[in-house]
Amino acid sequence: MSEAKMITLTIEGRQVRVAEGTSILEAAKAAGVLVPHYCYHPGLPVAGVCRMCLVEVEKAPKLAPACATAVAEGQIVHVHSGKALEARKGVLEFLLINHPLDCPICDQAGECELQDYTFAEGRSEGRLIEPKRFNPVEDFGGDVLYVTNRCILCTRCVRFMDDVAQEPVLNVSERGDRAVIGKFEGQDLTHPWSGNVVDLCPVGALLSKDFLNKARAWELDRAASVCPNCTQGCNIMVETRDNMVVRLRPRSNEDVNKYFMCDYGRLNYRWMNRTDRLEAPLVRHGDRLAAAEWEVAIDAAARALEGKRIHAVVSPSLSNEALYLVARILGRGDGTGAFRVERGPEAPLPGVEDLALRADRAANVQGAEMLGFRRSDAPLAGLRGGDALLFVDADPSVLDVGDLERAGAVVVIGTALPEILRTADAVLPIANMVEEEGTFTNIRGRVQRFLQARAAPGMARPSWWVLGDLLARLGEPGSYFLASDVFAALAASRSEFSGLSYDSLGLRGLPVMAPAGAR
Amino acid sequence: MTPAEIGATHAPGHAPHGDRAHAHAEEYQPVFTGAARAELDALLTRYPTRMAALLPALWIVQRERGWVSEGAMTEVAHVLELTPAYVKGVVTFYTMYHQHPVGRYFVQVCTTSPCGACGAEDVVRAFLEHTGTRELGVTSPDGKFTVIEVECLGACGFATPVMVNDEFHESVTADRVQDILSKLE
Repeated sequence: MSEAKMITLTIEGRQVRVAEGTSILEAAKAAGVLVPHYCYHPGLPVAGVCRMCLVEVEKAPKLAPACATAVAEGQIVHVHSGKALEARKGVLEFLLINHPLDCPICDQAGECELQDYTFAEGRSEGRLIEPKRFNPVEDFGGDVLYVTNRCILCTRCVRFMDDVAQEPVLNVSERGDRAVIGKFEGQDLTHPWSGNVVDLCPVGALLSKDFLNKARAWELDRAASVCPNCTQGCNIMVETRDNMVVRLRPRSNEDVNKYFMCDYGRLNYRWMNRTDRLEAPLVRHGDRLAAAEWEVAIDAAARALEGKRIHAVVSPSLSNEALYLVARILGRGDGTGAFRVERGPEAPLPGVEDLALRADRAANVQGAEMLGFRRSDAPLAGLRGGDALLFVDADPSVLDVGDLERAGAVVVIGTALPEILRTADAVLPIANMVEEEGTFTNIRGRVQRFLQARAAPGMARPSWWVLGDLLARLGEPGSYFLASDVFAALAASRSEFSGLSYDSLGLRGLPVMAPAGAR
Repeated sequence: MTPAEIGATHAPGHAPHGDRAHAHAEEYQPVFTGAARAELDALLTRYPTRMAALLPALWIVQRERGWVSEGAMTEVAHVLELTPAYVKGVVTFYTMYHQHPVGRYFVQVCTTSPCGACGAEDVVRAFLEHTGTRELGVTSPDGKFTVIEVECLGACGFATPVMVNDEFHESVTADRVQDILSKLE
């Protein structure tokens, strides 16, 4: 492609230069012109079945489908000419013949391309007086519900299952006005990536059962994030309503997940909303823990750690920022840090290179290893008698009472306080990953930012803030005001991260400097 | 035909007959053994890909079994290295493949405009009455007949044309129906 011939053409009066073989639709996108379309999707093979992307090409005898027509030198394309608009108005009228127009009860309303384009280019009134054909709603298995009547038969879902998931269980059944998306009896959408058909569906025909009737699209707040459920690091949008995460959706990133995310990651979000959270810093008073001011609690934590060798057990889903600060606390003495990773079966998406639900079900295994934490199934093995145990949001199932009795002091920094840790000397509540900002390093060493999507409960603070204050109280330069400041300090002190900043990472991320053995 | 009648003859793929399909799968006997298999193998030599033999393969199934069951679709998919979903898409696209069992004699009466003008409705009514099927798309209690209406059979000059299996009858009127039926076993 590097020596691809370049073609110059004019779209809506704008000159644009694109590689030979590019479709008019993609060239228009490059020129900043949106050509309405349904069946076309950049992550799927071109079908050309919806006829919604018809545009006028000067000197061509008839309108051309922009998705399936390659650019030609000197071409002059009109997307919004009278002829093109009239044709698309006709296409919309046909698409709406059997569409129930049930937007008020449809989950897709507000993010529906049928709604959008009908509003932009369709008729304001229907002319159809015949009854509409009716088909029942069908359960496609997995997380997918098929509302047959709303379907415009763009076949995006069929092509996704055929060419990307490579488990062709969907088809177009019947024909003419009876045509529906069908599947073979007993073959459900059980592929671990099949939930993507819900995102791909441009209308309200394929819906997520999990999200069904939960919220209207316009009530949602969205934050760019990174999926924390495995080491792949799919770029996602965290969608919240009234401070509750209600849905995770993929956010496109050509270098990581294209347009997709797996069902495991998509549906594993309820922990983000858990309500049994630590809401106030706690300090030991004799045999009980009592709520305290942040300063008092940080002070108590620092006193518990001071003068002892520290062994940290961390969560492999902490941000680089938090892990970097823990590493600095450990680095004051000869402290050690370890983590355990939950594992599950790997599930690749065959149609996309190097994309899979990874076996390691934690976001930042790579980052934790790069920052000097040791991966172990027995992360408490490094805790020597009399050591201070710094337990940072790790899975409490790694603990037993013996470990805690052996420890000279116990400081918990976490989102929740499991029963076994009630003997701690100080407990500092932190935000979970959707309540704070930070970065993860994915399985391929790509550093990616995630933004805050909801407010942390009570007095809980971002992990980097708490750890920075603790570091400062221990006499080190700490006390950061912004997550980006912590990252800047990390980039300045670790060669793998040098040159990276929140600005340069943007929302798509960048690979770290090839560290030995990480690539 | 009204939509309800179409549904009775060619139920959409998602019609709730899953139980029967399942029951059928358990006792499924393959079509492509012996002579049928040899016939298919000969067919395959005439096409560039196995997929291209799908329509004739389905015709063999329908000839052998009278209809194309989901079990048969799975078998055809297996034999032609396709997916069952793809085969089902093709079977449901073409109205001439039966997705349900039909009578031994499958009667198709043309009711398109010219035939309609020449009394096709009466012909249909006579067939429904004399075959005992009473309703379009329904098989008679003895399993002998199924009657449906079809669009143009291409014999407008000889209205009303009727097809009984592969046999073509022209200029059929209501009073000839009994005569046609009496010649059938």
